[in-house]
Amino acid sequence: MRKFWCAFFVFWPIVAIIYSIVASMTPSLGWWFPGASVTELGQRIDNLFYLILYIVTAVFIGTQIALVYVLWRASHSKDERAWFSHGSHSLEVIWSVVPSVILLFLALYQMDVWALFRVQAYFPKEARDAPIAEVTARQFEWRIRYPAPGKKLQLKPQPDDLYDVNDLHAPINRAVMIQLRSGDVQHSFFLPHLRVKQDAIPGQIIPIWFKAEKQGIFELTCAELCGWGHYKMRAQLTSEREVEYEAYLKKLQADQNYDGHATPSAVAKKDE
Amino acid sequence: MIARVWQLLVVVLAGAVAGCAEDASKMRFAQNAAIANPVHRKARAVVEKTLEEHFGTPLDSVAWLKLPVNYGKAEGKVKSVDGRSVIVDFNAETSDLESLKSPELSRAGLLFTSGANQGESFLLASYDPSEKSFETLLPLKTAPAEGDQFVVAGQNLRHGRKLYARHCQHCHGINGDGDGTTAKYLNPRPRDYRLGIFKFTSTNKDTKASHDDLKRILSYGIPGTYMPSFVPMLKDNELAVIVEYIRWLAMRGELEVQLLKDLKNDYAADRARKEAKESKASTSEIENQIAKQLEEYVANPTEGLAAFIETVTGDMVSAWEGAETADTVIMPPVPRVPDTVASRERGKALFVKTDGGKCINCHGPTGRGNGFQTEDFQKNDAAGGFYEKRGLHDAWDQPIKPRDLTRGIYRGGRRPIDIYRRISQGIKGTPMPPVAATVKPEQIWDLVNYVLSVPFESVPRKAAKAHSVAGQPSEHGNAN
Repeated sequence: MRKFWCAFFVFWPIVAIIYSIVASMTPSLGWWFPGASVTELGQRIDNLFYLILYIVTAVFIGTQIALVYVLWRASHSKDERAWFSHGSHSLEVIWSVVPSVILLFLALYQMDVWALFRVQAYFPKEARDAPIAEVTARQFEWRIRYPAPGKKLQLKPQPDDLYDVNDLHAPINRAVMIQLRSGDVQHSFFLPHLRVKQDAIPGQIIPIWFKAEKQGIFELTCAELCGWGHYKMRAQLTSEREVEYEAYLKKLQADQNYDGHATPSAVAKKDE
Repeated sequence: MIARVWQLLVVVLAGAVAGCAEDASKMRFAQNAAIANPVHRKARAVVEKTLEEHFGTPLDSVAWLKLPVNYGKAEGKVKSVDGRSVIVDFNAETSDLESLKSPELSRAGLLFTSGANQGESFLLASYDPSEKSFETLLPLKTAPAEGDQFVVAGQNLRHGRKLYARHCQHCHGINGDGDGTTAKYLNPRPRDYRLGIFKFTSTNKDTKASHDDLKRILSYGIPGTYMPSFVPMLKDNELAVIVEYIRWLAMRGELEVQLLKDLKNDYAADRARKEAKESKASTSEIENQIAKQLEEYVANPTEGLAAFIETVTGDMVSAWEGAETADTVIMPPVPRVPDTVASRERGKALFVKTDGGKCINCHGPTGRGNGFQTEDFQKNDAAGGFYEKRGLHDAWDQPIKPRDLTRGIYRGGRRPIDIYRRISQGIKGTPMPPVAATVKPEQIWDLVNYVLSVPFESVPRKAAKAHSVAGQPSEHGNAN
């Protein structure tokens, strides 16, 4: 039975390590984490994540080896008695100081990424100066308000504002900011491909910025259980070239001013 | 001991699975006091039987071909047979099944139109879109040969029901009566389809909602209510089948309501009691008499139930089909009048004129939705007399508030044409009247320009209060 436990605690870490090596070497299997972020900041967030993963992996392997060593030794000798270590001052200093140093290092190391991601004063200036849209989360959809082309987004709705629902458009390779609000309960604005996640809180206007570096349609979902229809809040971010973005706003403007005589670019909702 | 634990576990798991599985649900029938209660229970049984016959239950629905509903139809030929599964080839023009998975298609109907099984119909049990093969619920007695032709029908209804059950039923109810599980927490209430009335349409005041109108609501949602947008979660073909299913439910509800209204005259709930009092015959005798009369009514082919259904469905078909014709869609004859100060002034003058658009009566002098009608007792046209509660009511007998135009929330859309259509044709099922007969198109555009400017008008609060009706409640705090 002693040998069994020994083998048991050897077996699982080996499986875990083999799995991780295979999964990270062959991403085509889809066993590893999702692909690279489409924003630079997202990649830096990923790097932080991987750094923690490496530290944890090293600690995991170390503790497993120690555990197996102890089990192995104990399973071979019946005479050797356990060493009672409770109250050992030096041991306690070591296991308090070493993790503290690691945590302190992480806390300092991530500060600039955090500031860039969350602290408005550190946002890129071009994003801070001209938010492109106001997104209002509500049960169970995302209502989006853009300023008219060539105008700035105002806090209060303007007569020429443009409205859309569940389809946020943003130009690529430009840092853009949106103002996030909630119309009812707490929601969470989540762009997984861009590594952006921010709670929408009733009564608050929360700025978020991102700079998509890839064209495409990315998922925009609610990441906070907001009610029974939570799953319905599946919208999309369309990140496109500057010209396409302007064309989109023009189309929105034409549709919104449609009086039955001007030709709307598309009266029917955009289809997939 | 271990065996017993396993047994218990199996029982618990089986219960859990059964609990999660879709309920083999029944369609609900009208239960509300106004429509159903005044009708004799035997007559109500007739209505329920009629509806089951023509519409079935959600899981075993009937595609009643009389109705203008696109139930879905795909034709094809048998390519080969592999055991129980039949591998097929669909005709080029009917690729309807391409996007369907097996659960969406299951129990759609299959009818062979040539070969050994000609004329026989089966229910589909499963369909594999990659292999293009299907299995029938009951095994085919004679294996079909290569080249046998068939028709698959009803897949839109199947697919629509599936999606409706997942996304809509929660609020709108299993039979579309707007009384789903979450409905009682919502204000405004979810739409009850059974009157066949949808509020936000592009069609004229006498016409139903078109496919495009319903699809637009599903795509854009209704701001200011709990109706969300379902795009991009649902794709175009999914929206289309949901629209079909909603129309089907609306027609079912309409037939139900019409039948109940008709039967109320001769078979009132209290008829036996009343007649027993008058004629001194026993109640059971009269009950028997009622049952007999009903039997005759159902059996009579020329003047009975069948004829009534014929008339009602005839009207329904022309009404729903009419909504699809281009000439019922309201298109302003003149382009929008330029949105100038003068135009807004003209619009405002019309808005407050009590013998013109009469907007002020409900929407109030500053558009806050606090006109004097909201404080008055209103006539109940359907039941006669007046409503007990003060204020406006809609066709579903729900209290309804005129829109507070200062909030800038436009339920039926904020495009000028949407607002033009609502002013011109009114809002179906609500006290908002059509003004097209008395107000010229140019004037309607003036009104549109004014209405769109109301949220941005700077009216000092004191002045607004002084203008409004005395004794009215606070203007704020109406979240809807």
